[in-house]
Amino acid sequence: MAREKESEKGKISRREFVVAGGTVIAGGAVAACTLSDASASQASDEFPLSTAYLVYDSRYCAGCQSCMLACSLVHEGAACTSLSRIQIARAVLTKYPDDIQIHVCRQCPDPLCVRNCPTGACHVNTANGNVRMIDSEKCIGCRQCISSCHFTPHRTIWNQAAQKATKCDLCVDAPYFSKKGGPAGQQACVTTCPVGALKVVTELPSQLDNSGYDLRFAPEPQRGQATTSSKTGEE
Amino acid sequence: MTTPGFAGKILLVNLTTGQTSSIDSAKYEMYGGGHGTGAALFWDLCVAPGDWDLQDAFDPRNAVSLMTGPLAGTGLSFAGRTSVSGMSPQSYPVNWFCHSNFGGSFAPTLKMAGWDGVVVIGKAESPVYINIIDDKVTIEDAKALWGLTTWETQEEIWKRTGVRYGQEWQEFEKGHTLQRPAIVTIGPAGENMTRVASLVHGGGSGAGQGGFGGVFGSKKLKAIAVLGTGQIRVADPRGVRDAREWWETKWPIGPPFAGPEGSIPSSCMGCRRGCHNRNQVHGLDSDNCAEQTWYNLAPPHKGTPYEIQWKMTDVAQKLGLNAMETCFMGPMSFEVPKDFPIQPRIPAYTALGWYMKKMYDLGVIGPGTKFDTSPLPMADIEKPEFAEIYGLAIANRVGIGDLLAEGTARFAEKLGRLPGDFDVLLRLTAWGYQDHWSMPTVEWAYGNLMDSRDINNHDMSLGRKEKYTCEQFVKILASRTAPYNDPLWFDYSWKGERAYKTGIYSDRKAQWVAWHQHYATYYKESVLLCDWAFSNLFNENSPDGKGYTTEAEPRFLKAVTGRDHSFVDGMEIGRRIWNLKRAIFVMQGRHRNQEKFAGYYYRPGASYCGYAPELPIFDGSKWEWVNCRELFFEDKGVEQWKTAFFKVEGWDPASGYPTRRTLEELGMRHIADVLQAKGRLGPA
Repeated sequence: MAREKESEKGKISRREFVVAGGTVIAGGAVAACTLSDASASQASDEFPLSTAYLVYDSRYCAGCQSCMLACSLVHEGAACTSLSRIQIARAVLTKYPDDIQIHVCRQCPDPLCVRNCPTGACHVNTANGNVRMIDSEKCIGCRQCISSCHFTPHRTIWNQAAQKATKCDLCVDAPYFSKKGGPAGQQACVTTCPVGALKVVTELPSQLDNSGYDLRFAPEPQRGQATTSSKTGEE
Repeated sequence: MTTPGFAGKILLVNLTTGQTSSIDSAKYEMYGGGHGTGAALFWDLCVAPGDWDLQDAFDPRNAVSLMTGPLAGTGLSFAGRTSVSGMSPQSYPVNWFCHSNFGGSFAPTLKMAGWDGVVVIGKAESPVYINIIDDKVTIEDAKALWGLTTWETQEEIWKRTGVRYGQEWQEFEKGHTLQRPAIVTIGPAGENMTRVASLVHGGGSGAGQGGFGGVFGSKKLKAIAVLGTGQIRVADPRGVRDAREWWETKWPIGPPFAGPEGSIPSSCMGCRRGCHNRNQVHGLDSDNCAEQTWYNLAPPHKGTPYEIQWKMTDVAQKLGLNAMETCFMGPMSFEVPKDFPIQPRIPAYTALGWYMKKMYDLGVIGPGTKFDTSPLPMADIEKPEFAEIYGLAIANRVGIGDLLAEGTARFAEKLGRLPGDFDVLLRLTAWGYQDHWSMPTVEWAYGNLMDSRDINNHDMSLGRKEKYTCEQFVKILASRTAPYNDPLWFDYSWKGERAYKTGIYSDRKAQWVAWHQHYATYYKESVLLCDWAFSNLFNENSPDGKGYTTEAEPRFLKAVTGRDHSFVDGMEIGRRIWNLKRAIFVMQGRHRNQEKFAGYYYRPGASYCGYAPELPIFDGSKWEWVNCRELFFEDKGVEQWKTAFFKVEGWDPASGYPTRRTLEELGMRHIADVLQAKGRLGPA
């Protein structure tokens, strides 16, 4: 199996699948690289497209990281930012919109993490909407999926204690989630986000740059009355 | 085995010796975490050795602890604050053992690093900061950070690592992370050991009350930085997420307060509230509360434009000033009768900026007096430059700033205005804190008196509820105050015989205040549920008006810790911590005779700033809403209330000292032994 994958890998120029090397910066920055081949946004026979994609609205993310804590809880049974498969990185002293960076697994059309996995642990789960996910029992901790991920930072997650890799599975295999997960079900991060800044879509987002997953759908934040500070200062 | 929700160990740092060590948390779990554990650590490190008089908060022997609660970082909302405990330089006239807390991401990060808290003793020879990366703890040179603002300090510590946070994974022995260290630091106000200095984390998660910034400064401790890659274990991960969803669905919360123009709400780690801000200009990460009024002048001055308020908010945060204590308290002011000595309006609390200006207007300070107001450009008080100079003068103890840096009560004392100004002009608690519109909700005022600071009691504030009759309302409150469930606790009768029978001087009010202190001491200060959401006795979004208190707290705690504690079991932990605190106060010299309100509480006008003046009154047969704006205390009544309160607590009514019986009942024989040896144990 592993050898087959290795040989197949040679057929495809890696460059064709390098979508972007940059960072997704909330609300603004655009990736440096774009596709050199439109085929990257289409399903290959080998890797059918995922039926669901986690997208976000960076404008209204509150930076609370509740999604990260929920993700690690339902998957690992413990709260841990390092093991969350969605990563929100805050820089609270930086001005909006560069104060929050959001990194989600893109469920790539051509998943190099899957392609390069030597054991088949990282696979396309055809029984669950073609989600790209890792079978931890098959994972040997070689980190190929991590080095293959062509995004910076990589979206595959390293579990140091277990010496295995994990990644977003849209909650297909979330043993501590009391809801049905997966592409057709619910996701812990989406259900927990207090501002509605995460959702799952069925259509493949644009792969042209990093903003493809940063969409505008969250409701405008509500604000109550001013506290002790009126605009005029005279109540 | 460590109880889930707890990391299992507490970091002890001795800055005098430069040594760090680990304390097993298990010994302290009976105190619940947070302030409870902070109090127990203070007892063990500062009181039990018996080698000093516990009077000076700036003494290197003062132990300052930063403790997490069991729910921090688990993904439960409103639950991630860090409690700060230690002797307080702000408390007046005695530097009482005190507490404060702050939000942000510090507590969850500390627990992910494997620590329930950090306790610091001693004093470094030169400025240092403590750097924690999981189990690795180092004491780093901070000479180059000394003098920097709170924001500059954090940026500098982040910059030193050379890491592109959020863009590259950092690999450590225990795990990898994209996060940047959570840092709590002091600014110049703390370095210069002012009594009005806060600890600041991020842009504006601050622990202001207590003046712990000055304690850090006295220890030459500039900051604590922590990065954690580990896991916070919980007993029932499914239950934790479900509890959050259950609570949010059953008792939906309203939108957060308004922030600066164009800002986006942001939250502390794990919280849904959105009290803070993402912003493009000013007010970065600030909480939308007292700090945003830091520079907003009171009438007769014109109101301060909103954008300038926020710009000045950042100034206060950067300098590390306690905004509540040093502000100008403009907009929250109340009309008073024509014969009231302060005209035309009185601010809710007479903060330092307001009082300083009042003293200037009265000719107590300024030209022709012995108190030179330089470097303050008093003629330009309406210009924002004034506020910057005011802040800098205090933080750096320049000119009159040196006097102001002592805080409002000590500033008044140095001007020779005490105790007279306590009668009308200076609305401070018995221990020198801003009154914070505690009256006429007397449980807030009594709490301020029995504790050591403004207890910051937003949750209990009452007031007319349009959808409910008064009787329905008090019955709802009673249903949520287990196990007593007595509607008469909420009778605010303050005149005549009724005041003594069931009203504000009665046994009932003593029970209510005791319940309220036990609740706050455990659930708010030790479990560290945020004051913006807990407690919740009444809830207007609930179909029957009942709040989530008594239901939410035990469900959250059970999911995280696995312990089958009832709500009342938690109240008993609160009583234990409250008794331990009482023992610390008594060892510092607290006696019933000292526990007197400032003069104005005993005079008309005490409740003019009342946030919720319409309160339930029971006339012996029926309940009705009555405007209690005229409510004030009488000395005889307060003394009766104190006797009743001490009896409820099982303390000696004559002295207020704890008794052996009560302490042993709470599993604290060792506390009783020390009090007895010092002659400060109440008679059996």
